[in-house]
Amino acid sequence: MTSSSKTTPEATSELPEDVAALGFEEAFQALEDAVAQLETGELPLEESLALYERGVALSERCNRLLTAAELRIRKVDGEGQDAGELEL
Amino acid sequence: MQIYTVCDLTTYVKALFDGDPELVDVWVQGEASNCRPAASGHWYWTLKDEEASLRCVMWRSQAAAQECLPEDGGAFLLHGSVSVYPAQGQYQLYVDHVEPVGVGDLYRQFEALKAKLEAEGLFDPERKRLLPAYPERIGIVTSTEAVALRDVCHVLARRWPSAEVSVAPTLVQGEGAPEMIVAALDAIGGAGVDVVILTRGGGSLEDLWAFNDERVARAIASCPVPVVAGVGHETDFTIADFVADTRAPTPSAAAELATPDAWELAQNVDELRERLGRQMRSQLETAVQELAYARRRLTRASPARTVAEGETALVNLGGRLQRSLVSRLRLARADLEGQRRRLAALSPPATLARGYAHVSRRRDGHPVRSTADVVAGEGIDVRVTDGGFGAVVEGQANLFPLEEDE
Repeated sequence: MTSSSKTTPEATSELPEDVAALGFEEAFQALEDAVAQLETGELPLEESLALYERGVALSERCNRLLTAAELRIRKVDGEGQDAGELEL
Repeated sequence: MQIYTVCDLTTYVKALFDGDPELVDVWVQGEASNCRPAASGHWYWTLKDEEASLRCVMWRSQAAAQECLPEDGGAFLLHGSVSVYPAQGQYQLYVDHVEPVGVGDLYRQFEALKAKLEAEGLFDPERKRLLPAYPERIGIVTSTEAVALRDVCHVLARRWPSAEVSVAPTLVQGEGAPEMIVAALDAIGGAGVDVVILTRGGGSLEDLWAFNDERVARAIASCPVPVVAGVGHETDFTIADFVADTRAPTPSAAAELATPDAWELAQNVDELRERLGRQMRSQLETAVQELAYARRRLTRASPARTVAEGETALVNLGGRLQRSLVSRLRLARADLEGQRRRLAALSPPATLARGYAHVSRRRDGHPVRSTADVVAGEGIDVRVTDGGFGAVVEGQANLFPLEEDE
């Protein structure tokens, strides 16, 4: 496995679990969908509020992915296995 | 023992070259590479064959006189003199004549392989895979020693820091480099990355040669994920560039092409969030307005209003009823009083009190209403208000009957 845990514990606090597990592409797409759906103005208020809250969480998730503290670089050996951190 | 300065020794060696009759007038043939004019207009390049290489220089004035100038990969016959350039301690050929001798070997190999792979369809635009827009895992195949890796990682850290970067180290030039590049591509292809950056920095045609290897080309073509090739400089084209899904002019450019710009995306995210908030606010405002409107309608439609109106009407009616009853009563009472008075006025005692008298015949008590009821000499009883007395009828009195008032 090359994938280590994608996010630090602080970064996942507050966010709903399913949102915190999303990659940027899914989170961004979901955010766009939420905005588009909200903008139709056809949803009952209660559903709109739920959608709004989810949209805020999604945008937060996107922001965290975009401002990750530092690039993590790992070495891969001949079998494509993780061979540890790489110092540049 | 004589001790030379570097300068003195170099001058001595240079004198040996310059005094050699063979070296001052020499023809030499080989493959040119790294051919480019300097800003000064002088030309510098390397002439080489399988075993050796020779630095060449041609002054601007000489270059201007040539019908043909050296090109990378081309084979050329050169004439000039061999001497030493003291400042760099290098011997080089000072060229005064350039002739092409057909296509150079490396260049021919390159063209042959390019034609072959092209015929196989390895360069077809339809084969090119789109790079993932938001790669979560990025693989890099390069030398861990090279500046190229630092350049690439620098760009990745700036543009797309959330990516997981896996590096498959390999030699990128020299003996064994093609085999290692193939192995590294296989390894990274199996490491679950979304995109592979195959890169190395600039170098001579020979330095980049591993990227013109058929095995490398086929490894790129069979890589399970899209490959971005960033080999050498803008002007360098290798077979790897042609077969890769995307060709980048430099290592940094390869990293840029492989990733989105986080800052740009952050703006998009901010804008979406702004729209989200705006939409929610407007929906809430609408809801509040609708509520207010509904409340007004409710108030208007409320039975309380009807009841209040009814009550008012009822009170009015009650008032009218009362007033009409009172006046009716008053009238009735006044009427009654009148009647009572009239009645009282007609009562026998009142009539007697006003001076009238009641006369009846003594013989039978019959009331006397007419002159015909009595005869002269007959006894009558006269009743007045405080008693009565008897009298005798004398005869007719000189009185006329009273007429009824109209």
